[in-house]
Amino acid sequence: MNIENLQQLTQFQIDEQAHIIVDKEICKTCDHRACVQSCPANCYTFDEETKLLSVVYETCLECGTCYIICDKGALDWSYPRGGYGVCFRLT
Amino acid sequence: MAKYFDVIIVGAGPAGSLAALKLARAGLNVCLVERGQYPGAKNMFGGLLHNTPVLNEMLPDFWERAPLERHVYKKVLAFMTPESAVSLTFENENFEQPPYNGHTVFRPAFDSWLAAEAVREGALLLCDCTAEDIIKKDGRVAGVTVKGREGTLRGNIVIAADGVLSFMAEKAGLRKDFKAKNMGVGIKLLLGLPEATINERFHLVRDEGADISFVGTTGGMGGGGFLYTNRESISVGMVVHLDSLKASGKAPYEVLDELLQHPQVRKLVKGAVPLEYSAHLIPEGGFTAMPQVYTDGMMVAGDAAGLCYTNGINLEGINLSMTSGVLAAETAIKALEVGDYSARTLSLYKKKLDESFIIKDMKTFKNAAGMMHLERLSRTYPQVLAGILEKLYRVEGMPRSKLLRLARKEALKEVGLKNLIADGIKIGRALL
Ligand SMILES: Cc1cc2nc3c(=O)[nH]c(=O)nc-3n(C[C@H](O)[C@H](O)[C@H](O)COP(=O)(O)OP(=O)(O)OC[C@H]3O[C@@H](n4cnc5c(N)ncnc54)[C@H](O)[C@@H]3O)c2cc1C
Ligand code: SF4
Ligand code: SF4
Repeated sequence: MNIENLQQLTQFQIDEQAHIIVDKEICKTCDHRACVQSCPANCYTFDEETKLLSVVYETCLECGTCYIICDKGALDWSYPRGGYGVCFRLT
Repeated sequence: MAKYFDVIIVGAGPAGSLAALKLARAGLNVCLVERGQYPGAKNMFGGLLHNTPVLNEMLPDFWERAPLERHVYKKVLAFMTPESAVSLTFENENFEQPPYNGHTVFRPAFDSWLAAEAVREGALLLCDCTAEDIIKKDGRVAGVTVKGREGTLRGNIVIAADGVLSFMAEKAGLRKDFKAKNMGVGIKLLLGLPEATINERFHLVRDEGADISFVGTTGGMGGGGFLYTNRESISVGMVVHLDSLKASGKAPYEVLDELLQHPQVRKLVKGAVPLEYSAHLIPEGGFTAMPQVYTDGMMVAGDAAGLCYTNGINLEGINLSMTSGVLAAETAIKALEVGDYSARTLSLYKKKLDESFIIKDMKTFKNAAGMMHLERLSRTYPQVLAGILEKLYRVEGMPRSKLLRLARKEALKEVGLKNLIADGIKIGRALL
């Protein structure tokens, strides 16, 4: 199972408003970028060339791992507005 | 939307819904606020709804009406190395009848059902509402603002049953910043399999279920793996400590994939159809990481209060959350009777918690959180065990050692005497 296949199994009600906002300046100098490896939904990518971190909030499982793991204060993380975001059907 | 309630409960998880049921039955005007499209839409867990006396008391026929999957009959503890598995199986006929020791459930189904029970008794359920902040009046919590369906909800008492990240407790100044070592993340893949295949593979009949805990399948990280049988599916996943995950540099889904590829697990999941993938945090700091659980106008219940623990054998959360929800509701009923919602009156909730099995168990296993961080527990010890058994069973025309000598040799080789003693003390303190 690769992560792309896993993501397709889960349902989302996508909001046009992002619930995770990253301060890309802080991430440029982050010494671990643990968010990239640790996110269970692979939402974070770091571009080595531009030195920019990006987040795909649309497939976020709202677990909170990145929120706890980032110790640089780079994340403005909140729950999506009511009714939006991940929507588990079976689990 | 601007209304006044006796009690506002944030979060329609097991803690919130059972609290709402208790309050509604007492004839109180209670509102249950949930951010999901329906209760359970944001919730996932491994799978075991433990036997919970308050639930049995409040809904005596719950196992006939609730959407349950299987009752757990078989408990397996499996120590894994990349090529082998050493397992201990416990089957018990006493787990076969009411009150069952536990059932596997799906959270969207179970949480929706429990919230509907509260609604049937008169609670108002507002879905699609994320509580954003608390409202204070004369220095005490007196309501919440919500986004999604925008508005303000005011009331005499707020119960924060908003789960592990509890932003409500944070806004009320009841908790400090989280530490990665006090949190675990669980990820899980739900896999569809025909009922008959499950019964055959796990040696089960009818509604019997199996609960397997894996030690040693977390890629060297502190934590463990799990497998639960549902009626026509199995839940496979793992929980790892966030500090350990961060240090490992591994992606959680890759480690889950390794578990699914393990030769012994592969046989169990062969031919299964992936149905849903999910992730959720779990409070793992235990007793010492708990926040304050009450303040003027507010109480905190369930995961929001850090009421969850594991001792390596049991993972208990849902039963603690429902019980604490009911204790908070009882306290609210009392406070409304006397018309005083100050911290002084609500301190009764803390007293009730302290006297219940919840805090007693959390205290008993307060060292277990530290023990679970022993990475050797999930990495080296399974290897030692498997090493001993392989030498015991392998027949190859070589002279053999006696069991104790063999065990000592394997343990010393893998762990070293100093570590062995230190670990022994740590595990002993946590469990014995
Ligand atoms: C991987 C994993 C495996 C587990 N396995 C087990 C197990 O086998 N057995 C067991 O007993 N326990 C298990 N647990 C623990 C168990 O799931 C929790 O202890 C339990 O769900 C806590 O219930 P709760 O009602 O306190 O919180 P939750 O179930 O988290 O409910 C909180 C509710 O509040 C809502 N909410 C949150 N914030 C807001 C807001 N701001 N506004 C409105 N609504 C909000 C959420 O959507 C949610 O519905 C497991 C946990 C995990 C992560
Ligand atoms: S979000 Fe935090 S952890 Fe991730 S790169 Fe930025 S600073 Fe580092
Ligand atoms: S909350 Fe969880 S799923 Fe969402 S981006 Fe953070 S780590 Fe990934």
